[in-house]
Amino acid sequence: MRSLVSRLFVRPFYAQNAGTLLIGLLLAFGFMRASDHEALIDAALGSPMLLGFFMFLWGLYTLKAVAFVRSQLAAPEQLFFNAFRLIAAPVRGLIWLWVVVDLLIPILGYAGWMLFRAVRFAQWPAVYAITTAVTGLVTVSVIWVDYRLRHPSPTRLRLSLPSLPIPYLLFFPTYWLRKEPISLVLTKVSSGLLLVGVCLLYPTDDYDERLLLIGLLLAVLFHAAVSRQVSAFDRHYLLLLDNMPYSVWQRITQYLALYALIWLPELALLLRHCPDAVAVQYVLLLWLTGLGWLLLLHTLVYGRQVDPDRWLACLFAAFVLGLLTIMAHVPASVWCALGWGATIVVSRFRRLPLRVAP
Amino acid sequence: MLTVTDLNKAYEGKTVLTVPKLTVPPGIHYFRGSNGSGKTTFLRIVAGLLPFTGTVLLDNTYDSQRQPVDYRLRVNYAEAEPVYPDFLTARDLTAFVAKAKRAPAGQVDQLADLLGVTAFWTQPTRTYSSGMLKKLSLLLAWLGRPQLVLLDEPLTTLDVETAARLFDFVHQQVRRGVSVWLTSHQDVALTGLPITATWQISTGTIHLTSDAFTG
Repeated sequence: MRSLVSRLFVRPFYAQNAGTLLIGLLLAFGFMRASDHEALIDAALGSPMLLGFFMFLWGLYTLKAVAFVRSQLAAPEQLFFNAFRLIAAPVRGLIWLWVVVDLLIPILGYAGWMLFRAVRFAQWPAVYAITTAVTGLVTVSVIWVDYRLRHPSPTRLRLSLPSLPIPYLLFFPTYWLRKEPISLVLTKVSSGLLLVGVCLLYPTDDYDERLLLIGLLLAVLFHAAVSRQVSAFDRHYLLLLDNMPYSVWQRITQYLALYALIWLPELALLLRHCPDAVAVQYVLLLWLTGLGWLLLLHTLVYGRQVDPDRWLACLFAAFVLGLLTIMAHVPASVWCALGWGATIVVSRFRRLPLRVAP
Repeated sequence: MLTVTDLNKAYEGKTVLTVPKLTVPPGIHYFRGSNGSGKTTFLRIVAGLLPFTGTVLLDNTYDSQRQPVDYRLRVNYAEAEPVYPDFLTARDLTAFVAKAKRAPAGQVDQLADLLGVTAFWTQPTRTYSSGMLKKLSLLLAWLGRPQLVLLDEPLTTLDVETAARLFDFVHQQVRRGVSVWLTSHQDVALTGLPITATWQISTGTIHLTSDAFTG
């Protein structure tokens, strides 16, 4: 039974949240050493407010984990699991306890570390507080998931919000925002911060426009996953797209509008933080260059099953080659012409988007 | 009339469908075959959704690969198990397809009423049952001025009343010169449609089993 519940609830939870957990781990342990964490823990043990903040974060994580189990219980493919309620309550509680403990391992591990230090320094109020909080979270979680099992398909209160029409141009951006928000935030924040950083760095020394080009190259590479996401979205959700009577040029125009929309915040940031020594026309040229290269990535990937490792290796090679070319003083206008020219050639060669055999 | 010549479809190097020559006259055509025989693959090829080698020609004029726009204006397709982004509504998807297929004014409202889609017009598709999704896919398949409509398993999950209205509408469209191809694992006699010909898809190819003239 434990193996079954693990496959139904625990493994899918970690698989679905692998990216978020990895980012959390990188943020927590990439920038902070163990000694930094110990200093933070020691401070929290003596500060009810800081300790309360830790517990608040644990509460959020628990909420996410329990919400996942409850959503899995309601999924059509898991309806067979309703038979689980026929098992005696104590045994069922014990199995739910396994599931909850497995799901809460990250916070239980950190709480254990805190408890260890609290006992060592005889911080008994903190020991009681942490023990109570962790026990409370685990107990409430067990009761909460078991309640959903015993009360399936609840009547939900629905707010009747006005439904605004979504035009085709916003199909993918809406999907990105609603279904893959972390990817959206990471892509746009990384790219935006990088470009702002480059713009702020520019006047501090005797840099030339190659610095801006390097920034642009990295910002485009931060968007490399977007083309694969667009392709996967069309393949999975918009099968009827290839039955639409669009010419190749109409489809290129549609994707041009889509990528221009996605790439628009970078233009606003570049114009807002444009160094005095750089002409606005050059900033516009940079933005157009980036757009051309985003479209090239799209035409290369669209409709293909791309091996992620191979794709990453190609991007790394492109970065090194691009860096060398920029250092060799190849101007932005040539980059712009290359990106747009290659996009046209590749899309003509692949006869996108109809994907007919050559 | 649709003509298929030297069609070959392979997945990962393995041929799944070979049609040296096939001419399908206007009318209502029923394609049958066991699970995995290639019915959906064939319809998707004809709809222009899958790459293949060979030629698919509509009315001896419109090549699915050489005249993609003209061809796709005339050939529509309804999926067996439609999947749409769950945040979109019937209104969003219909607006998109109607514009692309150049639907005449008033057609969307007429079809939405016919298929009962008006009742959930502004609800996101995540709230739809499989029958509601099927109705939406059937609505999308009739938008524009198609000459050939491909209906993959149209009977599945559709309620009896809607099915009766749909097949009455299909009958009217066929009298106006529209051809309809359908696949079904259910008894097509239930549709009440006069089937022009029945085709069997098996062992990776297609052959005629009966038609209205020879029986």
